[in-house]
Amino acid sequence: MSRLLIVFLSVMLSSVVAQADHHIPNLGEKATEFKDEGKEAHKRDGMSHAASLILQRKMHPELLSHKRDKTLRQGVRGGVIQLNKCVECHTSVDKNGEFIPVNAPDQFCSTCHKKVGTSLDCFSCHRTTPAEEM
Amino acid sequence: MKELNRRDFIKTTTATSAGVVTIASGITLTTYAARPKESDPVTNEKRWGMLIDTNKLTESNIDDMVNACQEEHGWGNETHSTGDQKAGWIKKVKVKDKATERISNLALMCQHCEEPPCVDVCPTNASMKREDGIVLVDRHLCIGCRYCMMACPYDARSFVHETLTDQKTHMPRGKGTVEACTMCVHKVDKGEAPACVASVNSDAVVFGDLYDPTSKINQTLKKVQSTQIRADLNLNTGVRYSGI
Ligand code: HEC
Ligand code: HEC
Ligand code: HEC
Repeated sequence: MSRLLIVFLSVMLSSVVAQADHHIPNLGEKATEFKDEGKEAHKRDGMSHAASLILQRKMHPELLSHKRDKTLRQGVRGGVIQLNKCVECHTSVDKNGEFIPVNAPDQFCSTCHKKVGTSLDCFSCHRTTPAEEM
Repeated sequence: MKELNRRDFIKTTTATSAGVVTIASGITLTTYAARPKESDPVTNEKRWGMLIDTNKLTESNIDDMVNACQEEHGWGNETHSTGDQKAGWIKKVKVKDKATERISNLALMCQHCEEPPCVDVCPTNASMKREDGIVLVDRHLCIGCRYCMMACPYDARSFVHETLTDQKTHMPRGKGTVEACTMCVHKVDKGEAPACVASVNSDAVVFGDLYDPTSKINQTLKKVQSTQIRADLNLNTGVRYSGI
């Protein structure tokens, strides 16, 4: 029991440190709008907003691959975890009002991934800008 | 607005199979009861299928089907692929009866077999069949070995040979993986008909739940003579043909 507690505390601590030292440069067009309106993105029931964001930061790879399997294997669709939803909120536009591909080096996902030394192969297939037919 | 109507409609008609809503005079929208909620897993209580009547299907119908499929999924614009490297999720095929020389044209795509050889040979479980009978490639697991393409008696699958950009949001596609007709699973899951079926405005192509005795496809299959292509292989295909 106490061992579990220690593990839990050190996880919490490391995420606090991670939160304190990272600064997210560009959340993306819609995400910034969302935040400026005072809305709490990624908020989960029964959890504070801060804790929900930590969960999002730590768990988004698992959430995405879980949902991916659910969709492909069982036809489960909708909900908040959808790769195209991430793209919808977290892409920015350039000076000419054109969407910048979400996987470009200085964009939201990539900046953070570069820092933690991970790279994605999702956007060789998945569309990198919000839907054309919106 | 339209979205809401359709949803409500589906909710209230899950007991029956298909219905026609009249939106405005002259415009009809056919829906297929997918399931009550899109967050529910699909089950084996349904089996999606298609019946193609080659007597009614004109050559221009087939062209429309191919175009609708390309438009829906965004294949066919590959610039570096040549010959049989090109994607072909649905094809126009001419069949000639050797004795009578009678020619029929048909649209051939993944036949969504109940016993799919592509699934049997896949080393990574990427080739898969959903509970409701739709055969897919889970491209997250596909390593591009192409065994499935060799195993398929219908030559229904293709391989992406080049880097792609600007894919459709609902249809991620990319180099190094195998792809094929998905029976427009993203539409079927919303209670809509596959794009190719919707592009034909006669009853030359019927789509629906093979198991549901009230569905048009089930009733038609009970009435008319139909065949499966390469029925000798006992794959029990979801796509059936009549008139050949
Ligand atoms: C080789 C192509 C390919 C690659 C690479 C790929 N995907 Fe997919 N992905 C697909 C296809 C095809 C679908 C099915 C779309 C459908 O049926 O609607 C899909 C669906 C999904 C879904 C469910 C639909 C949604 O948006 O919620 C998720 C989640 C997902 N992929 C996540 C990922 C993640 C995360 C990565 C990177 C680690 C990734 N994919 C890489 C092809 C790919
Ligand atoms: C409705 C718009 C919206 C969608 C959709 C969305 N996000 Fe976010 N996301 C935000 C906003 C806004 C923030 C910043 C929250 C804040 O600081 O209050 C954020 C923050 C994040 C963070 C950083 C948390 C932190 O503080 O370190 C990650 C990681 C993240 N999102 C990943 C994703 C992923 C992965 C998806 C897709 C599954 C996604 N987001 C979908 C709006 C969105
Ligand atoms: C706050 C930093 C941060 C942000 C912002 C962020 N990620 Fe991540 N992401 C990570 C970390 C850290 C990992 C590695 C986790 C691991 O290795 O266990 C990761 C891993 C992933 C993986 C799994 C990669 C793999 O191949 O295993 C996916 C998929 C992913 N992120 C998607 C996204 C998407 C999409 C966005 C933008 C919407 C995003 N992430 C934004 C920190 C972030």
